[in-house]
Amino acid sequence: MTPLMFIILSTFLLCLTGLVFHRMHLLSALICLEGLMLSIFMGMSTWCLQFESMMFSLSPMILLTLSACEAGTGLAILVATTHTHGSDLMQNLNLL
Amino acid sequence: MFYLSFLGFFGFIIGMVGVASNPSPYFAAYGLVMGAMAGCWLLVTFGLTFLSLVLLLIYLGGMLVVFAYSAAMAADQYPMAWDDWSVFIYVMIYWILLLIGWSYVEELDVISLFENLSYVRCDWGGVMMLYYLGGFMLLLLGWVLLVTLFVVLEITRYISFGNILKL
Repeated sequence: MTPLMFIILSTFLLCLTGLVFHRMHLLSALICLEGLMLSIFMGMSTWCLQFESMMFSLSPMILLTLSACEAGTGLAILVATTHTHGSDLMQNLNLL
Repeated sequence: MFYLSFLGFFGFIIGMVGVASNPSPYFAAYGLVMGAMAGCWLLVTFGLTFLSLVLLLIYLGGMLVVFAYSAAMAADQYPMAWDDWSVFIYVMIYWILLLIGWSYVEELDVISLFENLSYVRCDWGGVMMLYYLGGFMLLLLGWVLLVTLFVVLEITRYISFGNILKL
């Protein structure tokens, strides 16, 4: 295993465990999702570097666009939950 | 040259540990800023300058401003930084797991062994394909962004009526 592979795999698994275990706020879960997208972005962009095929380097751009959509929708849900329930604690989402 | 990219490796891992160890959302956003900056540095040392520029602009310029604004809605009465005991336990557990995983690293990457920093790769040429062969994907992504705009407006529209359950 090379250091680059180690970095990508370990940051993906770190953010995944952080998303699964012990989230107190909804915003923390969204930030963990952003960390997942960041590690996938690094993996995709170094993939096209490793194979010397620059044709592939438009797929990180597509990923970044879709992650922007995901972040916007998640923050809209955060705003709606905060206005209707008073806070964004994850225990409050059991009431929905 | 490997030492320069090792700086990016280390900052990226520190930032992601800071995100995943469940601090308050203000500090988690700091961790994400550090991870994104170190990731940009890592891509620059590998020569992917255009993708790193786009990542810096989108993340730090676009999304993290919105995240920092939304952190006001997730306010804790007593914010927990990484020196808080419940967060510090997670940091220690994650570092121990990372040290175990680091023992499986045996060789270096080929792309991190180049000597000079100053050459320019042609990754912008690959991104240019979004306007040529991948034109359908460009149209599709524009449509997705438009749909997302209306989704966000529809979700936040009913706030003034009181309860979102009355949808």
